[in-house]
Amino acid sequence: LGRGNRDKVQQFMTITGASEKVALQALKASDWHLEGAFDFFYSQPQISAVNTRHLEDIFNRYKEPDSDMIMVEGVSQLCNDLQVDPQDIVMLVISWHMKAATMCEFTRQEFIGGLQSIGVDSIEKFRGKLPSLRAELKDDNKFREIYNFAFTWAREKGQKSLSLETAIGMWQLLFAERNWPLLEHWCQFLQVRHNKAISRDTWAQLLEFVKTIDPQLSNYDDEGAWPYLIDEFVEYLTENGFVQRKK
Amino acid sequence: MNGQKKRGTRIEPFRHRIETDPKFFDKSWRKLHDAIREIYNHNASGLSFEELYRTAYNMVLLKFGPKLYEKLIENMKEHLEEMRASVEAAQGGLFLEELERKWNDHNKALTMIRDILMYMDRTYILTNKKTPVFDLGLELWRDTIVRSPMIQGRLLDILLELIHRERTGEVINRCLMRTTTKMLMTLGSSVYQDDFERPFLEVSASFYSVESQQFIDRYACGDYLKLAERRLNEESERVSQYMDVKTNEKITAVVVKEMLANHMQRLILMENSGLVNMLVEDRYEDLTRMYTLFNHVPDGLTTIRSVMMSHIKDTGKSLVTDPERLKDPVDFVQRLLNEKDKYDNIINMSFNNDKSFLNALNSSFEHFINLNNRSPEFISLFVDDKLRKGVKEANEDDLETVLDKVMMLFRYLQEKDLFEKYYKQHLAKRLLSGKAASDDSERSMLVKLKTECGYQFTSKLEGMFTDLKTSQDTTQGFYASTSSDLADAPTISVQILTTGSWPTQPCNTCNLPPEIVAVSEKFRAYYLGTHNGRRLTWQTNMGSADIKATFGNGSKHELNVSTYQMCVLMLFNASDVLTYREIEQSTAIPAADLKRCLQSLALVKGKQVLRKEPMSRDIADDDSFCVNDKFTSKLFKVKIGTVVAQKETDPEKLETRQRVEEDRKPQIEAAIVRIMKSRRVLDHNSIMTEVTKQLQPRFLPNPVVIKKRIESLIEREFLERDKADRKMYRYLA
Repeated sequence: LGRGNRDKVQQFMTITGASEKVALQALKASDWHLEGAFDFFYSQPQISAVNTRHLEDIFNRYKEPDSDMIMVEGVSQLCNDLQVDPQDIVMLVISWHMKAATMCEFTRQEFIGGLQSIGVDSIEKFRGKLPSLRAELKDDNKFREIYNFAFTWAREKGQKSLSLETAIGMWQLLFAERNWPLLEHWCQFLQVRHNKAISRDTWAQLLEFVKTIDPQLSNYDDEGAWPYLIDEFVEYLTENGFVQRKK
Repeated sequence: MNGQKKRGTRIEPFRHRIETDPKFFDKSWRKLHDAIREIYNHNASGLSFEELYRTAYNMVLLKFGPKLYEKLIENMKEHLEEMRASVEAAQGGLFLEELERKWNDHNKALTMIRDILMYMDRTYILTNKKTPVFDLGLELWRDTIVRSPMIQGRLLDILLELIHRERTGEVINRCLMRTTTKMLMTLGSSVYQDDFERPFLEVSASFYSVESQQFIDRYACGDYLKLAERRLNEESERVSQYMDVKTNEKITAVVVKEMLANHMQRLILMENSGLVNMLVEDRYEDLTRMYTLFNHVPDGLTTIRSVMMSHIKDTGKSLVTDPERLKDPVDFVQRLLNEKDKYDNIINMSFNNDKSFLNALNSSFEHFINLNNRSPEFISLFVDDKLRKGVKEANEDDLETVLDKVMMLFRYLQEKDLFEKYYKQHLAKRLLSGKAASDDSERSMLVKLKTECGYQFTSKLEGMFTDLKTSQDTTQGFYASTSSDLADAPTISVQILTTGSWPTQPCNTCNLPPEIVAVSEKFRAYYLGTHNGRRLTWQTNMGSADIKATFGNGSKHELNVSTYQMCVLMLFNASDVLTYREIEQSTAIPAADLKRCLQSLALVKGKQVLRKEPMSRDIADDDSFCVNDKFTSKLFKVKIGTVVAQKETDPEKLETRQRVEEDRKPQIEAAIVRIMKSRRVLDHNSIMTEVTKQLQPRFLPNPVVIKKRIESLIEREFLERDKADRKMYRYLA
């Protein structure tokens, strides 16, 4: 999406309170003219299953007393009500739906938009949706989106890279679902050899690595434009005899 | 004229009433038959050519051509049979002579017969496409004599036998050989080839195969090649003397194959006498011979070239990795220059300036020079040494030549940027210590570097020269403007160095003596008066001073010392004895430099301006110093150097290298951005290749570093990976 169009999407969402998906739909239908998009939107029958009023109420239940945000305590309470562990990966999926900018913080717009995207307007319905939300991780494309989303989400505010500790925690969470055999080695390697923050490119490329390269590294190509950190990881594995590479 | 219609007169051809004499043919043939016999019997003088010609003429005219032709063949065959018997009967050496004799006879006869039967040649034979008389005679000769079973084998054997004898040193009758082979040629080139040339080549091949095997076991390479060359010349000469010229090429090929091609590896690689030995000992003659001979052999020159290359690489490698050699950089480079000269000479004298050999030489040198990562430093030191000595030692042309040769070595360096750093350092030292002997030579060197590497390489270096010139002017201006105040002050000469042009120096603390401070501050004021907005920092670690000293024993000297040393010595105007700690406190000079400075003042034999208590080499905090009142020197002006290493110490080396590595990172990034900007989208391997190519004139970039720079650029959103193909990068505007 070009910068101009991205702005339009943002504007649309702010004004109508709709989700990004709907915004995109409307704008595309109107050939990226905001006015036309609004017409389109308001002329559509609303998805009746979701009642915006209820969503506001739910938000207000968890938000901080002195700001229009749900913070740590609110999140904790929410998890309680959903009967879910705050460390549960489903929270990540939910945050993804909400397009939350930062871990453990939700703005009004994010929260409401997220619930709309998930398609629930009450805590009970929300609780019921949890299994299907977890199931979304099985979908390859969604998993990739969630994975890449996690990087930005888990970052400290104002930082460009992800701190190593957080990264390792996230990886352990994410790859528990995927069962990557080299996960332990990877985390150990990072702590012993790298000990610095993780860049976005490295984060993204690691997923590709996990998906395409087999645990014996037999199809690993040295000239394969992998980030140098991954090259070093391969070296580390070979040096320590964890993998026997056939040349 | 028309009008009258007369009966036209016709002139009829005159018809002879010729009686067809039934015996006409026989009578006529008898005439010819007898004549031919006389001809073959060397009795032709009594014959009338005119009559015989007319006889034949009439026979053909009266349509007896075919019969005449047949009779001719029959008749000639008879005569040839006689001749054959005679040749077969000849014994031993007389065989060839008899053959030649009969051949000559036949030729003469044939000529006459042809002349007599010329009319038939032109009419009957032509229209009926029969073989002309002369050719017929040759064919009959060929079939009856040369290819007769008794003669054919014997002829060949004798010819080959004679040739073999000649090869083993005997003298043979070449004339006879020549006429014999000429005869075969006349009979047709296929006769020559089938009946002589092909067997000759086969026999020669086995002869040389045997001979080469014997020689190679017995002779050293150089001698063997001499023999091979001699044989080749012999064979060529032999062909020119008594064979058809086309055989030359073929026999040469045979000799080359048997004597050279089949033994090529063994010869070239022969221990103690092969190519390597010849190269080492500069055996130009042998090398020329080897080059010329192996030029004929397929892959001959390629083999020589590759053996030469690996030899140069090996000797080069041992030269640059020998720890003894590395102790003296100037000698190191001199040896490299000598090697280069040596091979330039060899290629010039013996290898015909062959371009492919020059290229091989260049790539070998490039290979091993870069095996030692101190080569750039050493080459710079070599140039430094030469420019310090200047035109004194060698005249100007010689110096120019040497510098040109050094530039050749420079071209081989992969890390030219490292050389640049060192050159800058060395040049700075030269300029500031006044050791640049010849300004012209310095400039000339800069021009060479500029031609080689472009303007950027030398712009800062040129800046250094400019700074010095400007500083001279500034100092003059200073004294011109404030002369009155400074009558009693020490005279200073200031060199103002533009930061950025000169190698970066750490700025150290140093308390200058008050007299110096006074005048230097006046200078600073003067300078900043005309150059507002600039900042001057005294580089106390780089200056020098001339001090007049009067010693206790009465001797007076002028001492040339470094700035640090001057600060130390001036302290002794106020105190007689000082401890190290006191000196350190007063001067605020960093410990390492101060210790070196004191060592050179107190511990260098013949230049002990100070006395140290105790006399140990190391300096402890409580060691005391005082002026050495017993100081003497033959010279009035005494130079006290500082114990300083010309070659870099290990930590300094490391630092320089690190700085160079750091400098390379932005250069790599700039290259990546340049490439991506113009190509927009490019795959990983192509970027690596392009970047390496672009930076090649300066240094060889490390692929890992390039990768890291790419990732850094991705981080900073100059590039992104293509969404579909993770190996492609895209430029982000």
